[in-house]
Amino acid sequence: MRFFLFLAIILAFPAVSGAESRFVEVTAPGNRQLKMAVAPPRAVDTAPDVRISRQISDVLVFDVTLSGIAVAENRELQPLAAGTVMADSDFIAWQTGGIDLLVRSGYTVNGDQLTIEFRLFDVASRKMVTAKRYLGTSKDLRRFAHSFADEILRAFTGEKGCFTTRIAYVTTKTGNKEIWIMDWDGNNPLPLTRNGSINLNPDFSPDGREILFTSYKRGNPDLYKRALSSPVEIPLSRRSGLNITGNWSPDGTKIALALSKDGDAEIYTIARDGSKPVRLTINPALDLYPSWSPDGKQIAFLSDRLGKPQIFVMASDGGGVRRLTTSGAYNVNPRWSPKGDKIAYARMQGGSFQIFVISPDGGGDTQLTSEGSNENPAWSPDGRFITFSSKRSSGDGIYVMRCDGTAQIRVAQGKGSFFQPIWSPR
Amino acid sequence: MKKNMILLLAGVSLFALLSGGCANKEVVKGEESVVPTQSQPLKQAVAQPAAAPVQQSHPTSQPAVVAAQPAQQQSTPVITGKTSFETVYFDFDKADLRQDARSALSKNSEAIKALAGAKVQIEGHCDERGSAEYNLALGERRAKSALQYLTTTGVKGDQLSIISYGKEKPAVQGNDESAWAKNRRAEFVVVK
Repeated sequence: MRFFLFLAIILAFPAVSGAESRFVEVTAPGNRQLKMAVAPPRAVDTAPDVRISRQISDVLVFDVTLSGIAVAENRELQPLAAGTVMADSDFIAWQTGGIDLLVRSGYTVNGDQLTIEFRLFDVASRKMVTAKRYLGTSKDLRRFAHSFADEILRAFTGEKGCFTTRIAYVTTKTGNKEIWIMDWDGNNPLPLTRNGSINLNPDFSPDGREILFTSYKRGNPDLYKRALSSPVEIPLSRRSGLNITGNWSPDGTKIALALSKDGDAEIYTIARDGSKPVRLTINPALDLYPSWSPDGKQIAFLSDRLGKPQIFVMASDGGGVRRLTTSGAYNVNPRWSPKGDKIAYARMQGGSFQIFVISPDGGGDTQLTSEGSNENPAWSPDGRFITFSSKRSSGDGIYVMRCDGTAQIRVAQGKGSFFQPIWSPR
Repeated sequence: MKKNMILLLAGVSLFALLSGGCANKEVVKGEESVVPTQSQPLKQAVAQPAAAPVQQSHPTSQPAVVAAQPAQQQSTPVITGKTSFETVYFDFDKADLRQDARSALSKNSEAIKALAGAKVQIEGHCDERGSAEYNLALGERRAKSALQYLTTTGVKGDQLSIISYGKEKPAVQGNDESAWAKNRRAEFVVVK
């Protein structure tokens, strides 16, 4: 059925879908920030529902504004005709109102079935930039709006956004350190572990279906994995001592982690079923927190081989070790960006941690946070954002910011503490 | 059925035409949601906060004995707890043994030898500063440092094991040096 619907749409617009759009250049006069209006979503052949309408526009405004490509707002400038079609004359009021981009949308509810159609218009050229229609159930509401925000980014940057992704994190909200997962904007938090023990350092498989973590549930800090769709926690590495800071290789075939079965923490790789341990570091110092480069050729990690914890980089076979961070007395938590051009990490200075980024060649060391104490940076899959945990006077929790440090916003908060966020793949 | 499909196709095409020119129409299905885990009872005993070492003038005198054992096991009571051991303290970001640590370990050594056959686990802990992950490794280094000292005093290696809790199980809450000093420690627990 859905195949036919899709086919029908392609047949109806052969010219448009054939000319797969390049991304659109829209620039505001005088280099000011682009302004996007999200017109109130309309009920189509259905009773208006304020909650649905509000959620659609709130999601779009939040996503687009945080992305930095435009400043978005909910706005009704003039009553528009029903549906989502724009007549030429409909653009005039938006243009004089200083709006560069306009999103119109319509929703239909039929029992539990939900249909939403979105259209993005470039006001100055009076053209539609892109449009999408989504069919699903009422629980898909926010995801559909996030998905169209992804499409807006694709239209303007050439790369899809990451707004349908999720963040896994550790929280003590139930009294123990358990792993939870939520939409990237903090909605729909769900527990992943409920074993009442200490659970740490979640990491997603590259396909996003499984999650790694360390748990003390059988006494020792062992490495487990579980599918998001199943509660079974499968032990992967229960070797003597530490089995911590697991990080999935980009191709999904291996896991890098720190094991201390040899006496002190060393970096190993194991196969995705936990077998075939290969030792990468041989050193009396502590070596841990491996982070693969996106091409799988290198691993950044933390070592105190020179006395204090610093970030090092080695080839993924353990060769060619070099020190990456040379400023700061205590640098930890390296995470390689998905584009490969940066490594985020946390530096302890003056008793608190701050997030930095540095190029893999050691240049461009840049501080991104300064308020409170901020740890465990992790990248969004498109590299546009960094999530991290923060303790600050304006509120503790899981935060998200743009990768240049701007637009820091709290996405998870509440009872208990929040730690070690990790962003899911797309 | 086929006729219905054709009618539907025609109808949908017409609708799509009437609704105006659209690029990249796409149908997106909902994805499965996360199934929450079953709750599992915690089997692992939670460590009690460390007793202050000054209160333990006779470390060997009273190992804690769990009384709630079945009658047939009365002859071999299971010994557990850590009340008979002194906690060993460390400097910030260090696993070296201070003089007070060495004297505490010497007392613990005698206590462990007196518990012939018992197994003792050394728990390494850190204060809240430092990264959680690095502290897991540092806590292990502290436990190992205590273990190595005990073996030099004649405790059999197979009586000892180590575990690190990093900064996950502080003895006391607080974010000043007096709290931190109490949390940078190695504790000793008799395990079965």
